[in-house]
This record gives sequence, structure tokens and C-alpha cells, in this order.
Amino acid sequence: MASADKLINTYVPEKDVFALHFLQSLSNLRTQNPLNSPDKSIDRVRKIKKAAYVSMARAAGGTSRLWSRALLRRAAKDDNKSVRFSRRKRKVTWKISSKRKRSNQRAPVVEEAAERLRNLVPGGGGMETSKLMEETAHYIKCLSMQVKVMQCLVDGLSPK
Amino acid sequence: MNSSSLLTPSSSSSPHLQSPATFDHDDFLHQIFSSTPWPSSVLDDAPPPTSDCAAVTGFHHHDADSRNQITMIPLSHNHHNDALFNGFSTGSLPFHLPHGSGGQTQSQATASTTTGGTTVQPQTKPKVRARRGQATDPHSIAERLRRERIAERMKSLQELVPNGNKTDKASMLDEIIDYVKFLQLQVKVLSMSRLGGAASVSSQISEDAGGSHENTSSSGEAKMTEHQVAKLMEEDMGSAMQYLQGKGLCLMPISLATTISTATCPSRNPFVKDTGVPLSPNLSTTTVANGNGSSLVTVKDAPSVSKP
Repeated sequence: MASADKLINTYVPEKDVFALHFLQSLSNLRTQNPLNSPDKSIDRVRKIKKAAYVSMARAAGGTSRLWSRALLRRAAKDDNKSVRFSRRKRKVTWKISSKRKRSNQRAPVVEEAAERLRNLVPGGGGMETSKLMEETAHYIKCLSMQVKVMQCLVDGLSPK
Repeated sequence: MNSSSLLTPSSSSSPHLQSPATFDHDDFLHQIFSSTPWPSSVLDDAPPPTSDCAAVTGFHHHDADSRNQITMIPLSHNHHNDALFNGFSTGSLPFHLPHGSGGQTQSQATASTTTGGTTVQPQTKPKVRARRGQATDPHSIAERLRRERIAERMKSLQELVPNGNKTDKASMLDEIIDYVKFLQLQVKVLSMSRLGGAASVSSQISEDAGGSHENTSSSGEAKMTEHQVAKLMEEDMGSAMQYLQGKGLCLMPISLATTISTATCPSRNPFVKDTGVPLSPNLSTTTVANGNGSSLVTVKDAPSVSKP
């Protein structure tokens, strides 16, 4: 099944898209909080981290991916000023089929790992295991892309 | 005209179909075949790709090839059947076909099973049959499908995760989970790397380990760790090492630490906490005075990001 990956859509845009979104969010942060920067470094760190995740979610799939949507919703819930997020009319989740709740039949090894994954991947709470793994694959790709972008930034901006 | 004569395979004379040349009723066949649009794909040697034609593939290896082709074809291309069957049922059949027994569907079902006395019976029935040893229960089919889907996704995940050569499913899943955690930690660390120096780094890292106090300088936290480590070292070196490992620290002789820091960045004071060692941008050092007289340096190493 070498072509199986083509059936599962795990397309991730290039690095530049991520970089663009991240830099935009950083500049927004800067304009938000003018230069005197009264808050402590920890808050700054948190804001940057949140900006990183939000920009990643926007760059990666907008609202067409489940984890990105859940991430954006979570971010919008905390503070409505920085994140603009419009709710979808129809709540789309990949629910665990209620018809067959015999979780004993599913391989318990896989299921406990799936539980742990659900806690890690945003939006993993309402997904079937197969959908969860698909989302995890896309999430991993996007995360690694975001890390590369941030690392390039750090390297480029660090004094030599 | 022998009703039980079977068609013998031979090279086809008509370009339209591989009908044997020795067949008596050429004209009859031509009449039938011209009445319906004969699917061209059927004429090839390759078996038609539907599940119903498992019987056809089985027969291809058999001697009475062409005859069985004529028999089997109605199974796969049902929509072409009607005229054919009418032709077969009305005309006098030179070869033994089970159409006499019943209607169209029945003949479809039985055509594969009874095609003549001397032919080899097909091994598979037309309907979907599971492999030996597995139930055809729809629940278990769905279950199997689901398991296959999960295995498929796990394989694609395996290619993404480094060190994904584990064959064991459980360890592969653990790897995946650890990798996701690692990536999230990288993002967190990178977002603080250029910002506030050691203070924020170490306090953030210790925050994960469980509780920290809001300090601009993390010296309080470091002192606590130092005391703890010193106490542990008096009892048992192993437990001290384990404690440090749990916090993500390691012990090294101070000379080595100074060598590292001076080698990469000669201007920095190696005894001061710093995060800017370019080798791994999130390294902070703490000196601990040991009771033995030699001082040890604990090196906190956040997951170092290698240059791409």
C-alpha cells in the first residue's frame, strides 16, 4: 500500500507560508504592546508561544483541519482581541460512532495510546482513532515546519 | 450436432471473438454476438476486474478457455446479458449451458458452478467470501477494515517520526507521542530563546516539572535544586543522578563546562548563568560546590535544535 499516503490528504504548505504568518503575528504583537513593554518576560514568552501556534494553525490549514480549528477556537476563547475566529455554522467533528461503543474490541494497546495522543493534539477529544492519527500526521508535519521557521529566525537574528 | 460437445480451444478466426474454428454453429454465434454490443474488454486475455469474475480467472488456466469465457461473461457485464440470454435460451444450444434450469439470475449464480460435466468446478462462489478462518460477520468485517485503516495511518506516521524503525506497534505509538511532545517543547523553547536570558528559560522549564515561583531570577529555584542534589549526593550518587535526570540536568566537571563555553564563546563568563552558548542555544549552567572540594557544574540542556 505504498500509495496509501496519497489517499490521505496530508498536504502542508511551504516554509514561506509559515514564516509569513509568524512574522505577521509577531508584528501584531509588537504594535499591540508598545515599546515600553511593562509585562514580565514570562508573559511575553507566553504571548509569543501562543502567536506561534495560532500562526501555525492559520498557515497550515485555516479551518479546514480539525486540530487547527480547535486550536484557533481555544485561542479565541481566551482573549478575543488578538485572534479573529468566526465560528462555523455547522459543528464538524468526527465523532466516535455511538453505534458501536464496545471499546473492548478495539485493541486496548492502541486505544490507550490514542488517549494520550488526544490530550496532546488539539481537538483530539471527539475523534475516532483513525481520524486522530490522520490529524496527528498533519500536526507533526506542521509542527516541524514551524520549528524550522523559528529556528531560522533565531539563527538569523542572533548576534555573532 | 452433439449437444454435449464442448468447444475446443483454437485460434480465433473471427476478429470479433475468440470463438473456436471448429464450432459448428458459427452463424448462430455470430447472430448472437452481433445483436449485443460485445464489451471489448472482455475479449482480451486479461480477466475483467470485477469480483464476480473470480471464476473467469480460474478458468483462464483451464483448457476449455473460450467456452468458459462465453459462459462467464454474463456474470460480469450484466447489462449486456439480456440479449445474450435470450439468444441462448431460444436457440438450440450446442454446448451444455445451465440456462435451461431457470431464469437469468439463477443461471448467473449457477453458471459458475455447473458448466459441464467434465470441467473443473470453480473454487469460489460469486458472492463475497472471506478468507479461511475469518468470519463473514459484518461487524468483524468492519472491525477488520478499521484495523487496516489504523495500520495504514500508522505506517504513514512511521515515516514522519525519526527513529521509526520499530516494528512493534506499542513502541511505535510511544515514539509518536514522545515526538509530538518533543516538538511542542521545541516550539516553547524557541519562543523564549532570544528573550530574557536564563531566568525565563530555567523558570519555564522548571515550571513544567511542577510548580515554580514567579521570579525574575531563578536563583532561588537553583539553590533549592542545589541543596537537594547535595543532600542526595551524600547518601547515594545514583539517586542524585536520577534526581538530576528527572529534572533534565546532568553533572559534569567544571573544567569540561568551561572548556565548552570558552571554546564556543570566549567572551562569556562561564560561571554566570547564560543561555547564549551558540552551540545549543538553551544551555544554562549552575555551579554547585561539592563537599569533596571539586565543584561540579550542572548543565541544563533544553532540547537542542540542530541547524537545518
